[in-house]
Amino acid sequence: MTAQATAAAIRAGKRSAAAVVEEALADIAARDPLYNAFTDVTADRARREAAAVDAAIAAGRNPGPLAGVPYAVKNLFDLAGVTTLAGAKIERDKPPAARDAFLVRRMQAAGAVCLGALNMDEYAYGFTTENAHDGPARNPHDRTRIAGGSSGGSGAAIAAELVPLSLGSDTNGSIRVPSSLCGIFGLKPTYGRLSRSGSFPFVASLDHLGPFAHDTADLALCYDAMQGFDAEDPAQQHRPVEAVAPLLREGIAGLRIGVADGYFARGGHPYVFAAVEAVARALDATQRVTIPDAALGRAAAFLITMAEGGNLHLPDLRVRPDDFDPGTRDRFLAGALLPASWLVQAQRLRAAYRAEALRLFDEVDVILAPATPHAATPIGQATIAVDGEERPIRPHLGVFTQPISCIGLPVLAVPMADPAAIGTPGGLPIGVQLIAAPWREDALFRVAAELERRGVVAAPPVPAG
Amino acid sequence: MTSSDRTAFDAEGYARQAAALLDLPLDPAHLPGVAANLRLAAQMAALVASRTLAPEDEPAPVFVAGRDTP
Repeated sequence: MTAQATAAAIRAGKRSAAAVVEEALADIAARDPLYNAFTDVTADRARREAAAVDAAIAAGRNPGPLAGVPYAVKNLFDLAGVTTLAGAKIERDKPPAARDAFLVRRMQAAGAVCLGALNMDEYAYGFTTENAHDGPARNPHDRTRIAGGSSGGSGAAIAAELVPLSLGSDTNGSIRVPSSLCGIFGLKPTYGRLSRSGSFPFVASLDHLGPFAHDTADLALCYDAMQGFDAEDPAQQHRPVEAVAPLLREGIAGLRIGVADGYFARGGHPYVFAAVEAVARALDATQRVTIPDAALGRAAAFLITMAEGGNLHLPDLRVRPDDFDPGTRDRFLAGALLPASWLVQAQRLRAAYRAEALRLFDEVDVILAPATPHAATPIGQATIAVDGEERPIRPHLGVFTQPISCIGLPVLAVPMADPAAIGTPGGLPIGVQLIAAPWREDALFRVAAELERRGVVAAPPVPAG
Repeated sequence: MTSSDRTAFDAEGYARQAAALLDLPLDPAHLPGVAANLRLAAQMAALVASRTLAPEDEPAPVFVAGRDTP
């Protein structure tokens, strides 16, 4: 059941939040072992939050727009009383969080019920969620394959319908990659839109938080609930709450839509470009736009990520390097050693690249681009052939997402409704990025809702069994 | 060093020296992985360096001395 329908049923008194949460807990106990999405199930907390929603309704108070809706968070979000793992063995020694992350507090205020914490790549440094400590998150469309990362548990939990909403983080693509590979909707808002306080950082210059859902309406409800100013995130900008849920029926009249060419038209399997073309046809979008210096932007993001990540973890790298996941350790070690000039040059290039990219929005409002270079690969596979060249999967999965988050543009990743029709292997899911100018999440939601109405995008059904 | 030979530099030697400066013990078993990542970073740095920047191209992060709260 969608978040919207669940909240409506609870608000109307047709179901109790307590009954919904018990059903969801039983479902997670029964089916999560198939996917390894959850690393903590917060049953006591969920029952308390559900009871508070039911009490509010009984007292005639407004229980909030997400009344009784179950959700879960990537395990880098603080949950009071739970140790924030950030996918790391090292963090397991730490005391439980004293209070919830800001976005979790916003979700609670909206009536949502938190069921637990979700699997991820260690310290968010990866695109596959093959976590050495917690095991791999499994793709619900084919459990032998990756769910994407680093918010892999968040993606798998939505695709498997263990919860209707989840939260994740995206530094270089960690919301958009699992959205594409799991066939769901994910929003990476504008850098500085949603507060990150109370989440374990990775790369302060590039970190974003955002929601995942099974459809556009649920994604909008969740995003709207989380907006709001928080003095504790130094990167958050003062913006009014700009609700998108009321815009979903507005259509796309007046929006100019372009298709990214050049860098975004190569370096992937043919079906990812077929997905973009199918979306473009549905929107009657024929204009091509070139995002200048995208490869350079990706390189800058790569260096900033290594350097800031390496610096962040230097104290533990000095004394307990073998407690890191081998998949991340050597990258953090190398990142700590980069010449300062590389980092400064990358940050200067980032500003120049942003200035050029923003000029594109004089011509278009939304840009279409592939989300990932291919569909989900088998767990454990290290390389894949792209354009006749064998490429390492872990870094290459972010090839289309990294240049965009480098400059903080908002992106809504939408899943193709019929991936088999565009030729994905075995009908595996694939997504498309809808990209807008800073603070134009409204345009993204209008386009996504229109594509949904036209039957082009939707979360494809998960095969039985 | 030209961009074409960026990955040919002595990455392991560089890693040892830079790690010593940072008081970062490097396990010899980790050195090949660290060096491989440094070589990849060098490729990325070469790409970044291929774009000429002007003196007025300041770094993207901007320090703010104080924030107004709404």
